[in-house]
Amino acid sequence: MKVGFIGLGLMGRPMALHLEKAGHELHLWARRPESLAPFAKVNAKTHASPSEVAAHAEVVIVMVADAPDVEAVCFGVDGLAAGGKPGLIVVDMSTINPNAARSIGRRLAEKGIDFVDAPVSGGETGAINAALTVMAGGKAAAFAKVKPLLEKMGKAVTLIGDSGAGQVAKACNQILTGVGVLAVAEAFNFAAKSGVDPAKVREALLGGFAYSKILENHGQRMLDRNFKPGFKAWMHQKDLRIIMEEAHRLGLMLPSAAATAQVFNAIVGSGMGENDSISALMLLEKMSTPE
Amino acid sequence: MQLGFIGCGAMGRPMAEHLLRAGHALSVWSRRPESAAALIEQGARWCASPADVARHAEIVCTNVTGSGDVEGLAFGPQGLAAGLAPGSLHVDFSTTAPSAARRIAARYAATGIDFVDAPVSGGSGGAQSAALAIMWGGKSALAVRLQPIFAVLGKTIVHVGEAGAGQVAKACNQMVMVAAIEAAAEAARLATAAGVDFAKVRAAMLHGSAGSRVLEIFGGRIVAHEFAPGVEARLHHKDYALLMDEATRIGAALPVSAAVAQQLNSLMGRGWGTDDTSALLRVLEAGTGTDQA
Repeated sequence: MKVGFIGLGLMGRPMALHLEKAGHELHLWARRPESLAPFAKVNAKTHASPSEVAAHAEVVIVMVADAPDVEAVCFGVDGLAAGGKPGLIVVDMSTINPNAARSIGRRLAEKGIDFVDAPVSGGETGAINAALTVMAGGKAAAFAKVKPLLEKMGKAVTLIGDSGAGQVAKACNQILTGVGVLAVAEAFNFAAKSGVDPAKVREALLGGFAYSKILENHGQRMLDRNFKPGFKAWMHQKDLRIIMEEAHRLGLMLPSAAATAQVFNAIVGSGMGENDSISALMLLEKMSTPE
Repeated sequence: MQLGFIGCGAMGRPMAEHLLRAGHALSVWSRRPESAAALIEQGARWCASPADVARHAEIVCTNVTGSGDVEGLAFGPQGLAAGLAPGSLHVDFSTTAPSAARRIAARYAATGIDFVDAPVSGGSGGAQSAALAIMWGGKSALAVRLQPIFAVLGKTIVHVGEAGAGQVAKACNQMVMVAAIEAAAEAARLATAAGVDFAKVRAAMLHGSAGSRVLEIFGGRIVAHEFAPGVEARLHHKDYALLMDEATRIGAALPVSAAVAQQLNSLMGRGWGTDDTSALLRVLEAGTGTDQA
């Protein structure tokens, strides 16, 4: 299939390469030309604009940072909407506000372009190992057409519901992972300040009801004091902002997510935004230690 | 002075009336013309658009709901910018995002028009008795031109800093005030649940270290279990979105404000947005099974 791919960052690059390896012809555009370098020797054509990518592809995958970026790629000058023919399917794998996703879907539909929101969980490692969890929202027919592509990048690919439903699922995912990372960091800080070895605590807890992948994986990285991303703290802050915006819009009470969002504000505000989310541990340690 | 005024709501109308009574010529426009009728009767001139108001005024005052409304009034079709002459001044009394105020000021500056963000605190009561607290941001040299206007509207007038600084001060004001309302509601909840009369607790606290304007006014509504506004909670809910967004943008942790924002979200979700903010008590009652709704 002719597949457009826009957003060749930490996640997007390995995802696009999986598609190429599976025999698909890539059509690329990048804001920064150096992002195209890893594709010089594979079956990939580069283009001057998203519009040109849309004109050459049957499906275009977008993997950028936030809603304004997706909107710019779709509706900016020479955006996807300008070049896409009716029948094109745009798959946005970025994490953005569910309401923004619904609005982008409606605007593309006016041009006869299908839109599937398909955010992912699993981080850079998941992208490299083609082991992402993909949560999709959109029409069943459009999803069926792109599912084989999504399965080259992920293991669990699920259609959650209508347009925006994928982003709602991702928001739920980020509530659990955000609150979960903070809970593990709090438990480890509690143990250490009580004179108990957090490694032993983790080992014991892994066998009980407090078991989680976060305790296992993020917990191990906390013990190793390996704060390299992974998943950058500023991105988790951004995802929590989306969640809190939706909670405000819908009149929802999310007290734990709200408290967690403030900790992520502090992580970013104290200059650790480029570190992994598990830097929450460093923040808690600092806040619990005399200056 | 030739003044313009846009926004004739619960706050704006008494403010505009004070300006008329002080002898200023007032040009007005309103999205709903009927809301300006009382001002027209008192001698204000009706204009066909914000641009038309601007053509008749040296200084235009606005008091509307949100950042988007102010930007629309300023730069939308037939907006203020189309009618304001270089050297004229737009004073915005609305509560908006600080970043929106800075953006508007920068856009006006390009055409030689001054902008001041001057949000107020004191509610419709304060507007009626000309006892508002006015916190403004903009060039300090504008103080002389603003003084005759501010003096007939408010009692406490503070120049906080450059454009946007007034809105930062208002955000701080809302944080401190609504957190205090939540604290008063929680105190009432604790007292009542413990079988103690909160009216007596409040009376004891009022003149001690916990005494505050909030405990006096909102605490009174809490004691009476009387939630007619006052200040509609939906407006505080809106302000909290602005300030929490600003906290995220600059990387500041506001743990108490974040918790209060969730109580406000619950209040909205329960459908009590047009109640007074003291209805935060109802959220606490609903959450512990003594919901009287």
